[in-house]
Amino acid sequence: MLLFSRRTRRFESVIGTLILFLLIATAVGIYILQRDVDMARFGVSSLVAGDSSAAGETSPGGGSLEPRGPSHESLFFGLSTDNFSPVGTAETYNADNLYEKIDGKAPMYVESGFNLLTTQRFVSEDNTELCLEIYLYDMGNPRNAFSVFSRQKRADGTDWPELLYAYQTSNALYVSYGKYYIEAIGFAESQKLIDVMKKIAQQLTAQLGTGDEGKIAELGFFPPQGTIAGSWKLYLNSAFGFEGLSDIFSARFQIGEGMVTVFLGRQGNAAEARTIAESYRDFLTSNGATILSAESEALKSADASVLDFYGSTEIIFTAGRFVGGVHEADEKQSAEKAAEVLLARLNKIGGLGD
Amino acid sequence: MTNAGEKNLGRRQLLVRGAKAAVSIAVAGALAYSMYDREGPKREAEKIKLVSLPDFSVPGRDEQTLAIVAGEDRAKTAAKAVELLGGIERFVSPGDVVAIKPNIAFASPSILGATTHPDVISAIVRLCYEKGRAKKVIVTDNPINDPASCFTISGIGKAAAAAGADVVMPKEGLFQYTTLEGGKLIVNWPVYYGPLEEADKLIGIAPVKDHHRSGASMTMKNWYGLLGGRRNIFHQDINTIIAELAMLVRPTLVILDGTVTMMTNGPTGGSISDLKKTNAMIASCDMVAADAFGSSLLGLEPSDLPYLALAEKAGVGTADYESLKPIRASVT
Repeated sequence: MLLFSRRTRRFESVIGTLILFLLIATAVGIYILQRDVDMARFGVSSLVAGDSSAAGETSPGGGSLEPRGPSHESLFFGLSTDNFSPVGTAETYNADNLYEKIDGKAPMYVESGFNLLTTQRFVSEDNTELCLEIYLYDMGNPRNAFSVFSRQKRADGTDWPELLYAYQTSNALYVSYGKYYIEAIGFAESQKLIDVMKKIAQQLTAQLGTGDEGKIAELGFFPPQGTIAGSWKLYLNSAFGFEGLSDIFSARFQIGEGMVTVFLGRQGNAAEARTIAESYRDFLTSNGATILSAESEALKSADASVLDFYGSTEIIFTAGRFVGGVHEADEKQSAEKAAEVLLARLNKIGGLGD
Repeated sequence: MTNAGEKNLGRRQLLVRGAKAAVSIAVAGALAYSMYDREGPKREAEKIKLVSLPDFSVPGRDEQTLAIVAGEDRAKTAAKAVELLGGIERFVSPGDVVAIKPNIAFASPSILGATTHPDVISAIVRLCYEKGRAKKVIVTDNPINDPASCFTISGIGKAAAAAGADVVMPKEGLFQYTTLEGGKLIVNWPVYYGPLEEADKLIGIAPVKDHHRSGASMTMKNWYGLLGGRRNIFHQDINTIIAELAMLVRPTLVILDGTVTMMTNGPTGGSISDLKKTNAMIASCDMVAADAFGSSLLGLEPSDLPYLALAEKAGVGTADYESLKPIRASVT
């Protein structure tokens, strides 16, 4: 019994000593690691620069690699793509790390209500030179999607009539559909690539579809005669460099042989529209514009402002709750004619004003 | 068995054991107290070792600062532009290690013009080896997108390797912190220092692109790729960061490829219709002058790009590129 007791005590001593050594080793390890703490590994490297936004896993340069939030990767599963296979898995980006995909363009998207980007690359199984990449931007709502679609629209793009707002260039396809903005970028100029892009876009929009393509009502407020279809742009904020001009649509407008840019925006009420028009006029004059007298009786009656801005003509007027006008026209006469047509159209719509 | 031991425990042993336990607790407590950091871990910036980027520039020569060569063949125009400035031998000495910094920001094919064209990289790497007798040429960048995809899809990795260059991709250990003296933004910021540390010369090679935020992306903006960390925060003050980068990095030579210019929707582009043939290759010891000329390819005036004025004011170079009497030529 005594022998057993001694053995047990020895055994307990050995175990106890081992535990003590283990504790000491752990303490030393913690001490060493704490001395060499790298905050970047814990996603707070940006504190060095005063950026308080948290980051996920860090890239070699310290950037965030881990996307957050819900994604649309599953949309790319099972697409019929004519022997084009997905390359790797879909990537997703949120507002915090969108710049890792599109760098300097990211602010434009983020300022336009961007929510999530999902991208997927595809390559032809027959010819590895034929690659394409799909960018599916969830912009939160149809107006946001239409804004980034319209502001980046390529002048030489041709409409793709399969969808309400879609066009193609020699290597790419662009679609605004509901709250989504879709870019399909081909890595070469190839009809086969364009065909596959269209097929993918059709399948994606069918999956995304809620029956609402995101029709933008204001596009119908431009005069049907003269407005260049597809030339519309939607500025959600700071149109023409002026912070007070938000939710403004512009379009190219044919007037005789020339072309001018006309614009309109629906405000809360007529008083608000007048305040915005006056603020924009003051903004222009404070930046060097001079006020001219209007030749057009209709513009005079509407109390429109006609200004010379370093050789170009600017016109601003209100029609009910609409702010409208002409931006950077080369000739005053053409500008006034275009403004007259737009003013008449907005007055005719009238019922939308107050 | 424990019970047997406990039965044998006398008062004396109990006191001894109690004393031992008390001493152990006291020692552990004292040790913990001595190691306790009331301020918590210090921010990296307060204890990191800062590095300074070497000055890679070579002595200037009157009327051999800026060369502009017209033509479509990038290999020929790039070689000619360097030749007009005195040849690669002026910039690279035998045995030099040369670092080349292209713009490989995106996983985008060369046809889209968002990255430096691989033909220029090949031409300059070969010049460095064949005429400059460089010991080693490194081609490197810290892309925005996944580095491996960027080097592969842009075609630069393959072209550089085929010309004999070492292709270096960014890794965590290659970043060091630096501060630009008098800088507002580059303060205790990680930069891609590793490849520059072993280099004797540095050549920047960039395409001419529209840029949504800064108006243009050319040789000065190309240094943005040397920044680590969450560098996107600098987009809020893009002109200052470009000017500060131009103050921080003193390259041996810059090459601006304006064979094709991305006129719209930069810096990523995406459609070939964003591009325009402008057939110009620029080599320069003055990156402000190179970019000032490049602005004309975008249909801009140098005054449209505020960072040029900031860099000029800081003494980096001149936006009045004509004052440098650029050497012009064309190749077919």
